Amino acid sequence: MKQMIDELKSIPGVVGACIYSARTGLKVNNLPGIFKPDRLTAVGKNLAKLCSAGRMSFDDLTDVSLHYDESVVVARELQKNLLVFVVCDPSFNQNLLTMSFNLLQEEVQESGVALDEFETQPKSQPAEAAPADGQVLSEEQLIGLFNEMKDLLGKVLGPMAGFIFDEMVEVWEQQGAADIGRIEGLIQLLNEEIADPEKIKHYRKLITPELKKYQKG
Amino acid sequence: MATAKEFIDHVARVDGVAGCLLVRNDGILLGQTVDDPEMYSTLLVISANLAAEVMEKAGFSYCRHIGFNRQAKSHFYVFPIDKYLLGVVQSSDCHASEMLESVHRLISRVSTNRSTVSIDGS
Repeated sequence: MKQMIDELKSIPGVVGACIYSARTGLKVNNLPGIFKPDRLTAVGKNLAKLCSAGRMSFDDLTDVSLHYDESVVVARELQKNLLVFVVCDPSFNQNLLTMSFNLLQEEVQESGVALDEFETQPKSQPAEAAPADGQVLSEEQLIGLFNEMKDLLGKVLGPMAGFIFDEMVEVWEQQGAADIGRIEGLIQLLNEEIADPEKIKHYRKLITPELKKYQKG
Repeated sequence: MATAKEFIDHVARVDGVAGCLLVRNDGILLGQTVDDPEMYSTLLVISANLAAEVMEKAGFSYCRHIGFNRQAKSHFYVFPIDKYLLGVVQSSDCHASEMLESVHRLISRVSTNRSTVSIDGS
């Protein structure tokens, strides 16, 4: 993945590039140190939203470019939840960059590897291991936990629960990595939708055993 | 003093502009020459806010414009102008950099009040 962005950096006018995952945050970057990782994560998050908004309006969207006085930021969705973005001088060659993005996207798609999932899987642990606090959940574990939480939300909110839950998960996933350490953020979003203190308390009581199961393994 | 509608007419006459619209930064539409202005208005407001956040996080100083690049080449551009947002749909066969330069020139005349153009929304 590093090699991919190093190739982008070799394009005249390109200062550096990043790959950002909507689920796990910043994956790799070769921008100068002045661009701090936490700042780049925030930038990636906003660019991901921008690409989503663009895609909702234009089904043939390729890139989104932000032209500032001193720099241009260009972002491309390589696949769902995976974004590459570059910071360039205003004089960069857009056609060359577009072609490089096309090649990169083709490479990612042809590799048949979900880069996002591949990189987030802890290599030293078996995939089945339940995550400890702060670790990234596997896709399977995440779906399992979400299904339990969604069903339990139905007991509090009724038939609208599924719709609300899916919507809040989408928001939560855009806010950062899908790890158990951030699950309180999702619960907070759901609480805001539940809005009733008694029901919030009841929902907390219902999901606590499920959360413990995933946290302890 | 020119109105928002007249400003829109100026922009719409630029070579390479297929359509345009002007909204206030709260999404209120002031004038347009495009189909489906509601869709464009929403995108204008959302994208300008997100671009401002990127600007703040990355430490950039001023957003000149945002480009939504499309396979069909009818790219869509957003130009923040103080508390207004101008959206421009590009003709698929135009020379983009010349068109953008012309639009920026018009905007600069509006912003600096060097011409009689002033967007007052009326």
